[in-house]
Amino acid sequence: MSYGIRLHIWGERACFTRPELKVERVSYDVITPSAARGILEAIHWKPAIRWVVDRIHVLKPIRFESIRRNEVGGKLSAASVGKAMKAGRVDDLYTRVDEDRQQRAATVLRDVGYVVEAHFVLTEKGGADDNEGKHLDIFNRRARKGQCFHAPCLGTREFPASFSLIEPGAALPERAGEFEGERDLGWMLHDIDFEQGKTPRFFRARIVDGVITVPALAEAVS
Amino acid sequence: MMLASLCEYYDRLAERDEVPVSGFSQEKISYALILSQDGKLVDVQDIRDTSGKKPQPKALTVPQPEKRTAGIKSNFLWDKTSYALGVSARDGERVAQEHEAFKALHWKWLGGSGDEGLQALLRFLDQWTPAQFLAPLFFDEMRDANVVFRMDGELCYLHQRPAAQALRARMLADGDAPEGICLVNGMRAPLARLHPAIKGVNGAQSSGASIVSFNLESFASYGKSQGENAPISERAAFSYTTVLNHLLRRDEHNRQRLQIGDATVVFWAIAPDGQPAAAAESLFALLAHPPLEDGQEATRLRTVLNAVSQGRALRELDPKLDPDTRFYVLGLAPNASRLSVRFWLANTLDHFVHRIAEHYLDLKLEPLPWKTEPALWQLLYAVAAQGKAENVPPQLAGDITRAIFTGSRYPRSLLANIVLRMRADGELSGIRVALCKAVLAREARLAAIPSREEIPVSLDTENPDPAYRLGRLFATLENIQRTALGRQVNATIRDRYYGAASATPAAVFPLLLRNAQHHLARLRKDRPGLGHVLETSVGDIVAGLGATFPKSLHIEDQGRFAIGYYHQLHARSNGKADAEASPAAFDSGEEE
Repeated sequence: MSYGIRLHIWGERACFTRPELKVERVSYDVITPSAARGILEAIHWKPAIRWVVDRIHVLKPIRFESIRRNEVGGKLSAASVGKAMKAGRVDDLYTRVDEDRQQRAATVLRDVGYVVEAHFVLTEKGGADDNEGKHLDIFNRRARKGQCFHAPCLGTREFPASFSLIEPGAALPERAGEFEGERDLGWMLHDIDFEQGKTPRFFRARIVDGVITVPALAEAVS
Repeated sequence: MMLASLCEYYDRLAERDEVPVSGFSQEKISYALILSQDGKLVDVQDIRDTSGKKPQPKALTVPQPEKRTAGIKSNFLWDKTSYALGVSARDGERVAQEHEAFKALHWKWLGGSGDEGLQALLRFLDQWTPAQFLAPLFFDEMRDANVVFRMDGELCYLHQRPAAQALRARMLADGDAPEGICLVNGMRAPLARLHPAIKGVNGAQSSGASIVSFNLESFASYGKSQGENAPISERAAFSYTTVLNHLLRRDEHNRQRLQIGDATVVFWAIAPDGQPAAAAESLFALLAHPPLEDGQEATRLRTVLNAVSQGRALRELDPKLDPDTRFYVLGLAPNASRLSVRFWLANTLDHFVHRIAEHYLDLKLEPLPWKTEPALWQLLYAVAAQGKAENVPPQLAGDITRAIFTGSRYPRSLLANIVLRMRADGELSGIRVALCKAVLAREARLAAIPSREEIPVSLDTENPDPAYRLGRLFATLENIQRTALGRQVNATIRDRYYGAASATPAAVFPLLLRNAQHHLARLRKDRPGLGHVLETSVGDIVAGLGATFPKSLHIEDQGRFAIGYYHQLHARSNGKADAEASPAAFDSGEEE
C-alpha cells in the first residue's frame, strides 16, 4: 500500500478482553484490530482520517498469566455528573470505594510483540488542504520521535505499549518459531461499529505463518 | 475459543444422547404427585434415592428452569411447592403470587391441549387450595421440595408425554429475543439476555454461578445491559452451560472433574473421527489424579510414564489412543456469583501426556518419598501452613497447574513459599524437598545458558555446589548429635538451627562444628568406630567447601540446602553407622 505504515508494538503485559468474559477478564490470544487501531490513533489521528488495519504479525509466543485485583462495582452515573456540573460543585459526586469492592481476576498475556500493517483513508470531515501525503508524513515523524497524544495501551490502560516505526524497506523484527503453518483462533472481535448503534463485528482469525490478515470492516460479520 | 470448544463438545455428546436436548436440563426432584383423570390427587410418591444414609433427590430431565433471582417466573410442569401448590415454609404474600403465576402459565399453555394428562393437571389446579396440604398425603418435610406430576396408572411423568414435549418446543420458539450475530459460531440467531446457571463448582453459590454475567454497572460497556454486552445466541448459551453442568456433575463415576486448590478443573477430548474419546479422557484422569494406593492403577500409571519418558508412541500403549485427539482443560474458580477462568488449555493429548511426564521427572527424588506419584492437590497441601486447604496461597494453584500443563517454569513463589514453610515449621517432608528440586531442575533445563551444575536426583558425594554440601553437612552434624545423645533428645539442631543455617551459614556453622566436637569426643569413648566414620564424613564434606562459609544463601541455594539435607539424611551407607539413625529420622521427617 503506498500510504501504508508498519509499526512495531511490544509490551510486558496485554489484555485484549473477550467480550463474553469481560467480568473476570480473559484476553484474546492476539491483539484485536480495534486495539491496534487505538494504538495508531494515540500516535496520530484527526477527524479527517480513519485508520484501517490490514495485517498483524505475531512475533512472540502466546503466554498467559493470571492476576487478581480489587476493583469497584459501580460507575458514577452521567446524570449525577450533569447535576454537579450545573450546580458548580462536586461535593456530592463521589464513590465510596470500600463499600463497593469487587475482586476480579484477569488472565492477561505476557511479553507480547506485534507488527501492525495499516493504512488510513480520508473521511468527509477533511478540509481542503488535507491529503494523504501530509498525514502520512505527520504520522511517520511522530512515530520516529515517539510522540503521542496519550500513552498507547495494549487493550487496557494499565498495560502501556512501546512502539517504534519500521521504515519502508527495513526488515521486520525476528519472529518466534512456533507459528509455522496455520492456526485457527476462532471468532475474534474486529471492531465496534459506532455508526450503527455500537454493534460489535467479528471475523474469523487465523494465524498463517505468523501473520493474521484482517478483512475490511464491511466484510466482518455483524 | 473456549465457548466454541464447549459447544462442539455438546454437539458430540448430544449425538450420543448423553446430555439433555435444548430446553431441558437435569434437576433434582423429590416428590411426584399422582393425579387421576378427573384431577383428583390420588397419591404423593417419594422418588428420592434412598440408597445412602440420607435420602437424596433424584436427578430427572425436566424442562429447563427459568433463571429467577428476584422475579416471579414459573417453571413448566414442575416446580417447588411454593409455585406448584402454594405451600412453603416461609409465609407471606409472595407464596400466593408464585402459585398464581404457576396456574397462569399452565392455563396459558395447556388450555387448548387435548391430551388427557395435561387436562387432568388443569382440573387439579382448579380445585386445589393450599389448605389441602395435610396428612396423610403431605408432610411438613415436603415444603419447598421440587415436585413433578404423573397420571395414575402411567409410568412416564407429565413432562415426558409427547404432547408436553411438543408444547415445550413451541414455548422455546416463541421467544421475543432480538436477533444478532453470535460470537461463538458467527451465525445470526436470537440472542440470549441471561445465560442458564452453572452448578457444581466448589465454593460458588449453590444456586449456580455464571461465567458470562454483567450484573453490575461496572461490568457493562458502551451503554449496553446484560447479554447485549456479549452477543451469544440462546442455542450456544444453552449448549455451553448444559455441557459444563454435565462435566461438573458430582457423580462418583464422573472422572472428568478434579479439584486443584480453589479451582475446579474439567477436561474433555474430541477425537478426530467422531468416536468417543473415553480412552483419552481416562488416561488423562489417571495422570492428573493418580491413585492413592499401590495397585493395578498405580502400575498402569508407571507403565505409561516409563513409556513416555523413553519416547514411545501413545498408540503402542493403547491402540484406541489417537495422538491427534484434541484435548481441552478448563479450570474454573468461584467468586461469589461469578466464575473466573483460572486457565484454559487446548492442545493434543500427546502434548499433555508429555508435559505431565516431564513434571513427574522433575519431581523425582531418591529415595522416593512416596509410594505412588503425588497428585497435584497433595503438592499444594505441602505448601500450605499446617497442611490445611484454606491456607494454600490462592494464585499458586492456578499458576502451578498452568506451568505443569504448558511445560513452562514453575512460579517463583512456589520455591519461596516452600522454603518459608520449611523454616517456619521445621518439617522437611519428602514432598517439600521434591518440589524444591522440581523448581530448580526445571529452571536449569529451560535456561538459555546452562549455568550451574545439574540438581542431583540421589545423593551425589562429588557435587561441588556449596549450598548442597552445606545441607549434607547439616544432616551429618545432626546425625552426630543424635548418635551421641541418643534418641530421646528434646530438640535437635534441626529444630533450633535449620532456618538460620540455611539462610546465614557463616553465622551458624562454626558454632555447630564446635558443638559437634563435643559430641564426637563422647562418641570416641562410647563407640569409637562409629565416631571415626562420622568424623571422616564431616571432613570429606568440609574439604569440598572452600575457604569460608558463605555469608548468606539466596532462595535457590536454600532449596539446594534442603535437597542436600534430605539426600544425606536418607543415605544408606555400607556401615551400620547410619542404619539405626536413618529410620528414626525418616519417620520424624516424613509427613503427609
